[in-house]
Amino acid sequence: MPELVLSHVTRRFSGHTAVDDLSLTVRDGEFVCLLGPSGCGKTTTLRIIAGFEQADAGRLTLDGADITRLPPEKREIGVVFQSYALFPHKTVAENIGFGLKMRGRPKAETAAAVEQALALVRLDGLGERYPRALSGGQQQRVALARALAIRPRLLLMDEPLSNLDAQLREEMRVEIRRIQQSLGITAVLVTHDQSEALAMADRVAVMSKGRLQQMAPPAEIYEAPATAFVGHFIGQVNVLEGTLERADGGTGLLALPSGLRLAGEGQGLAAGQAARAMVKQERIALTRAEPDGFPNRFPCRVVERTYLGGGIAYRCEAAGASLTALLPNHPLFERFAPGDAAWLGWTAADCAIFPG
Amino acid sequence: MRGSIQALGRLVGGLYLVLLYLFVMGPLLFVIATSFNPATSFPARFEGFTLSWYAAIFERPEFLAATGTSALVAALAAALAVLVAFLSAYALSRKGGAGGRGAMATLLASPLLVPQVVVSLAILQLASAFGIGTGFWGLVAAHAVYVMPFALRLILTGFARFDFAVEEASRSLGGGPLATWREVTLPLLRPSLVAGFTFCFILSFVNLPLSLFLTSPQTATLPIVMFAYIESRIDPMIAAVASLIVLAAATATLLLDRFLRVRLVD
Repeated sequence: MPELVLSHVTRRFSGHTAVDDLSLTVRDGEFVCLLGPSGCGKTTTLRIIAGFEQADAGRLTLDGADITRLPPEKREIGVVFQSYALFPHKTVAENIGFGLKMRGRPKAETAAAVEQALALVRLDGLGERYPRALSGGQQQRVALARALAIRPRLLLMDEPLSNLDAQLREEMRVEIRRIQQSLGITAVLVTHDQSEALAMADRVAVMSKGRLQQMAPPAEIYEAPATAFVGHFIGQVNVLEGTLERADGGTGLLALPSGLRLAGEGQGLAAGQAARAMVKQERIALTRAEPDGFPNRFPCRVVERTYLGGGIAYRCEAAGASLTALLPNHPLFERFAPGDAAWLGWTAADCAIFPG
Repeated sequence: MRGSIQALGRLVGGLYLVLLYLFVMGPLLFVIATSFNPATSFPARFEGFTLSWYAAIFERPEFLAATGTSALVAALAAALAVLVAFLSAYALSRKGGAGGRGAMATLLASPLLVPQVVVSLAILQLASAFGIGTGFWGLVAAHAVYVMPFALRLILTGFARFDFAVEEASRSLGGGPLATWREVTLPLLRPSLVAGFTFCFILSFVNLPLSLFLTSPQTATLPIVMFAYIESRIDPMIAAVASLIVLAAATATLLLDRFLRVRLVD
């Protein structure tokens, strides 16, 4: 069964390296999201997998066979484009049946496959329409149905939800995941939206500057970032810079210039190193009384309050350091106003320390 | 108050349009009217209505032969120009293509900047310097070079609305490069290709200066024959010929607009 392996794939454009020695494996039936800021190489990676770009170095195998030099039409890989790229001069049914027509399949077989694909994306009865007569969400479904109608060995999606409005986007996340699961198809989705990646993927591959930073299940990406980039990029994060005063590999005590000392966890920590601590906003407790249970606890003053609906963000100052705590908007949690004195507290496990 | 100012604005705007159209169309309307005037000199007072000048065209075999030559030259030149323009526009529009696009587009449009009589003479001189006859194909080539930039502009406009991702979509669905052009690229660009061809055809068909030094009695085009005719005499038969050309060009433009929704003139 299809398993996609990229080994040491590199792609250079004049002046910069878009994909830099990238190795990763997408397992059979797995849903992987390539996540990263714009320009991180995720779309180039997708285009190399599809065959629209050639790798300058490295190789790709699908299902054990080398596809590095195979043209796109020979790869049996379905692609959903950011712009959908539907054929405007063909009906929905002709769009979906295009891949089978190219394969010279009999008309009756194609028609049946088109019906099936339309049912799969819940667009029954719209086969005779032209793409321009459909809404954005419907066009998206047609693009998905067209890519799936060839029964591809692999499904690629390039920012498929970025052109949809917020509510539809949430709906399609669930829908795409449902379809992927029901077919058991191996899928790779490119996105810059971390909540999308965390919600949809079996594993998330975080990329930065053409390099793979970490590839792991969503919870691990969020809670155990492997690099400072991932720690900073995922979630709403407080970053505090200082010098490691004590360290024994896995745990350390970070001294901030302001005099605060933070207990945190990390890897390869050594005393005397410059390091950064990263604390997710919602992992910081903000209370009136001193929170005894937390190794990191500091008196602070609330400086700014931002009402977010589901939560309330408080920016606080503690001995010159500025930290934001995100509290649920719920009666069980205390409310504060700018100027209030309070306490900040968090555990060592929620304080990830990265050297450098 | 506001309403009356708007009404006045519309009136002035409408008047302006009428004057503009009169300025452009007036001479044409005059020529067309003259072609039905039985008076033998041109221009002359209107004396009645006759179709005899149209009938007279068919008694002059050189006009019919020249019409055939012009049509053939125009068709070949337009086909050649559209082919070159399409390939150039494709290369200029594709992302990840070669650099220096602006310079390239200007270079491709440069035939427009050289006086056509000069081009015509230059080609003749160059050809005779090398001892080769220009002949029919020299005429076709000169016309093709001159009309190509017009096709290029139209086809570049077509490509501006073309999402190259559809080509990749076709490839990923199993369409090879040729099948992709046949099924996706060419059908989507057909309106601008047809418009480009028609526009080039018309421009070549009515072109005089390029043909001046490049035609022989065997390859005389319609404008050349008309030019020779009015050098010796002026009568309304030439107005009848001109009217027929205007009619044909207007029909082609209308058909394009109606069936392909292509505007030759924006």
